[in-house]
Formats: sequence, structure tokens, C-alpha cells
Amino acid sequence: MSAEVADTERAGSKLRKKWFAVWAVIGLLVSLAGATAANELSNPQPGEKIDRSMTVDPQAIVTLCVASGTLKVRGWDKDEIHVRSLDAAQIEFKRIDKTRDPAKPAGRVDVMVLDRSGAANPRLDCQALASVEMDVPAGATVQVQTRDGDITIAGVAGAYAGSQNGDIMIERATKLVEAGSVGGSIYLKDSSGRVNLSSAGGVVEVINVRPSDDEDTFEVGTVSGDIQLSRVSNPKVTAKTVNGTVTMTGPLAKAGYYSFTNMAGDVVLGMPHDASFRLNAKVSEKHDIVSDFALKYLSEPPPPPAAKPRTPAPAAKGKVSGPVVAPIMVERPAVATQYVRRVSAICGTGDATISIASFGGTVRLKKI
Amino acid sequence: MTRCLDEGKLQCYFDGELSIEMMESVTSHLASCVTCAAAARELEEESAFVMSALAAEFEANVPTERLRERINEAVAGDRLATAQLTQKATQKASGLAGFFSGLLNVGTQRTLGYASLAVVLAFAAIVGVVKMRTTTTPPQVVDEKTAQVGNIQQPNNSNAVAQASPDRASAEIPEDKLPARNAPKYFVAVSYKKPAPASTSPQVAQVKLIPGERSYLQAIARLDSTIKSNKKSMRPALQVEFERNLAVVDRAIAATRSAAKSNPNDPDAADFMFAAYQSKVDLLNTIADARVGGGRGH
Repeated sequence: MSAEVADTERAGSKLRKKWFAVWAVIGLLVSLAGATAANELSNPQPGEKIDRSMTVDPQAIVTLCVASGTLKVRGWDKDEIHVRSLDAAQIEFKRIDKTRDPAKPAGRVDVMVLDRSGAANPRLDCQALASVEMDVPAGATVQVQTRDGDITIAGVAGAYAGSQNGDIMIERATKLVEAGSVGGSIYLKDSSGRVNLSSAGGVVEVINVRPSDDEDTFEVGTVSGDIQLSRVSNPKVTAKTVNGTVTMTGPLAKAGYYSFTNMAGDVVLGMPHDASFRLNAKVSEKHDIVSDFALKYLSEPPPPPAAKPRTPAPAAKGKVSGPVVAPIMVERPAVATQYVRRVSAICGTGDATISIASFGGTVRLKKI
Repeated sequence: MTRCLDEGKLQCYFDGELSIEMMESVTSHLASCVTCAAAARELEEESAFVMSALAAEFEANVPTERLRERINEAVAGDRLATAQLTQKATQKASGLAGFFSGLLNVGTQRTLGYASLAVVLAFAAIVGVVKMRTTTTPPQVVDEKTAQVGNIQQPNNSNAVAQASPDRASAEIPEDKLPARNAPKYFVAVSYKKPAPASTSPQVAQVKLIPGERSYLQAIARLDSTIKSNKKSMRPALQVEFERNLAVVDRAIAATRSAAKSNPNDPDAADFMFAAYQSKVDLLNTIADARVGGGRGH
């Protein structure tokens, strides 16, 4: 009898323990599920778009910076910035106006992007791996930067863009453009204002750029990339490359100044048949100047002051006969004591000035 | 390359074990693929973490366990051989004769050890004498026209990025204020009032500087030092592009310098050389900015 009671009590105790274990497991599962759901809420799933907007000044300065990813910026007719990304975990706006008057819209804004690894291991500013698209007021100036990714900017007032290895494409900028890349190419078209483009290894292509102010200069430089300029009408154009071909086509600005420098590679200028310019060229003795234009050669410009006394120039290098029927090849002087030849010539009334320094390439002046 | 990169290939990429073509291919893929770029970054961070964690181990010359065992075995063998020899000597001779024979009876390994020690001491003595001669000669005023270019590396603690391009007017700075030692790669050797015989410094190339060239060399050396002093390893993609363009600029400098040197009366030839130097300064500035950068610049 006592043994039966003891068995019954033991069975009841076991049952309670089993029930307790079952409920404990269920509770654990429910809490885990809840935690996972909460985590999913804070970390958006891949493919889920993060979307943020903010009212800003029509001429606001907006910066966007990531470590890797494609950046697209577009100007629109709203006084608002709108940023979206499929890769980012979080997008925040940081207002950096000097006077933070809450009544006024933000004049300077940093767009802070955190990628999906940011929650567990927060990355520093500009370290996110995310592609971002952004709309800004058409009068805004944007400063965008990525390390490995392309940049596209369209329809803004000012554009500063930097990428180490990505390409940079800018169009319809109205006031200024500054872009730099180490390995990527730079494309600029249909823009106006001051322009400064530089790439070490990529090409630079520019189409249809004009000044928005009389002082707006145009500067471009590469190390090993080609430079192609088409219809650039800024009053001062400077193009430098070490080992690339410089090509410029289009009409010259009246009283414009064009300077081209390269160490290796040709300089090719395509100009209308009625182009009026003065040519000051320095080319190495081994290379030629080939011109489709009838050039009237002027006396050689005086040499720059040298520290050492210079030997007198040979008499043969005085006035060169002209005009010459095109195409012509500038003849080398009979006695060449200088390694670099200086050629000064005029075409038409000499409205624009073209200065060329080419160490290791041919200079070609073509009619288009 | 459209498929994503596996970890092995990425590791080879960071270790610099890929061919140039493959390196460029991977570089372009990383530039266009966010997933692979993220993976590459993680791998890079992991490598950096491991390297920093094991830095102390790498720096310390701790003998490995196997080496230690070999040393112990050698020592034990030496002791055994010596003991056996001594025992034999004791058996063969006795008294004073035995003592002298035991003293002079050295094993093969001990002989080698004495010989090695003698060689090391002799080498140290030679190095010490040469070093004393070098350091006791006081450096004199640098004359740009007679300064010589070599490729001796010198330490440089300058961290400032040379933003201003060296203009030719800066060559007029008093020579005693020019940091002649700040030239790690393009060492400008000082010329002494009493020049030493050429045989005492055979490694210094006898190249005369062209007037104005020195300021560029100094600016380049400073930038070079800044780039190298940055602890962060340069990313492979950036390094490939940097070295490719640096080679282009260096070729241009060599060509223009040769022309300027062989035509000393042609200032235009020198101008081309200075333009080439300026391109190098610009390129180094760009790379220094790219390595230091990453911020928003305001």
C-alpha cells in the first residue's frame, strides 16, 4: 500500500516536471522569436529601402561620403533633400550650420550613412559600404566621395566629387565642378562655371562646357589618361598630362587663352576653318607641328631669363617666311643648338592665344 | 569578371600573389561589386587585426621549438663527445701531460664555434671602424651645383603633406637651412670642402643636380616619406594605380632630365623637366591625400 502511494507520488512529480519543462521550452522559443523579430525591425532586410527626407535651404551644401558603393545625386525643384539606399541600415542628417536657427531650413547638411554591419560593429564616418541615391535642390552644392564606386551627379549648382577607383559622371552643373579620381575616368557634359578635373590613370572627357562668369577657368590634368575636350568655351583653358593625348575640338573663345602641356603623346586641336589665334609652341627637336591652317610665323619670342649666360641664337632662327599654304609642317632650323624649338605664329587676327608645350609628341592643328 | 570572388582569390589579391592582369581584373571587379568590396574589406580588417595581434611575435626573434630541441641535442652531443674524449685522454695519459692534452683536445663543433666567433668579431671591428670614419667627418655647406644624387635611404620624421608646390625661387633658400637629411629615396649627398676620395663612397652615384632641381627632390622626398609613414597599408587597387602612374612620371622625368642635362643652355628643356617633377609632386600629393583622407573635408 505504502509502495503504491509512493509510486503515485513519484509519477505525479515526474508529470509536473515534464509539464514544467515543456512550458519552459515554449517560453524560450517565444522569447527567442520575439528577440529575432525585434532585431529584424532594427536591421532592415537586404533589399529593403531606407528612405529619408529633410527640408533644406535652396542653396544648401550637402555632403555624402561612403567607403564603397555607387553614389547618384540629382537636382530637383524642391527645397528638400531626399536620400534612399537599398544597402544602408541607417541614414541620418546632421545639420552643421554655424547658426542653427530651427526656424530656418538647414544650410549645410552631412548625410550620415550606416551600413548593415553598423549595428554590431559601428564604422566610422565615411566607412559605410552602401550605394546611395540622393535628390537635392537644383541650387545646392554637393560634395560626394566614395572609395570604390562610381559617382553620378546631374542638375546641381556645384559639384565636388572624389573617387579613388570609380568613374565620375557629371552633367548640367551650373556654377562649379571639381572632380578627382586616382584610377577612374571623369566625364563632364552640358555644364557651366569653373571646372577643375584631375585623374591619374583615367581619361577625362568633356563636352559642351561654358563659363557662367568671365573669370571661370577650366583646368584638367592627368598622368597617363587621355584628355578629350569638345566645345569648351571658358576664357582660360589649361590641360596637362604626362603621358596622354590631348584633343580639343570646337570654336575658340574670343580672347581666350588655351594652354596644353604634355610629356609624351600628341596634342590635337580641331578648330573651325575661320579660327583666329596666335600660336606659341614649344616642341622638342624630334617632333613636328602639323597644321591645316595657314600660319604666319612671327619672330621667335625672347627666351626666358636664364641663370647662366645663354649662347646667342643663330641668325637663321629669326623671322620665318609666311603665310604658308596648308597643310604645312614646321621646318626645323638648319642649325639646331637648342633641344626645344619655339614656334610663334598667327592665324587670322590672332584673337585667341594657344600655348603648347609638348616634349614627346606631335602637335596637330586641324580644321573641322 | 562577373562572378563574385572567392576568399582564396581575395587573399591572394591582398598578398600580392596574383599576376598583373588578374590584379587589374580583380581591382575592376571590386570597384563595381559592392558584395565583393564588403568581403574584401572584412578580409582586409581581419588581416590587419591578426597582423597587429601577432606583431610582437613577429618582431621578437624567438627560437622555435624545433630549433631549441636541435640546440639541446647539439649541446648534449657535445658534452657526451667531450666526456668520451676526456675519458680516453685520461686512459692514455696521466698527470700534467694528460691535463694539457685535455685542454687542447677540442671537438669539431667547438672548433667551428670558435671560428664563427672570430669571424663575427672581425666583421664587427671592420664595421665599427668604417662607421667611426663616416660619423667623424663633419657635414659642410651644400653646394647645389656639386651636390650628388644617390639612392641611400635616410630616416625622415616629417608627417606634413607638402601642399605647396616647390617653386624654382625656393631654390634660393640659404643652403644651411635646407634639410639635407630629409631625403629618404633621393638622398642628396653633401659635398665636403675637402672632398674625400671617390673610393670611400662608391655607392653614391656621381650625378650633378640641375639648378632648381633640388627643391623638387626635397618635396618629393617629404611626400614619399609621408606616404610611407602612414601605418595603414595602401589598398592594392590604389597601390597598383599609384605604381603604374609613378612609373610613367619617372620615365618622363628621366627623359626630360636627360634632355635638360645634355642641353644646359636651353631653359625650355629644363622647364620640361620641372613640369615633369611637378607632375610627380602632384601625383604624390594626390596619393597622400587619398591615404590620409576619407573624411568630408570641412
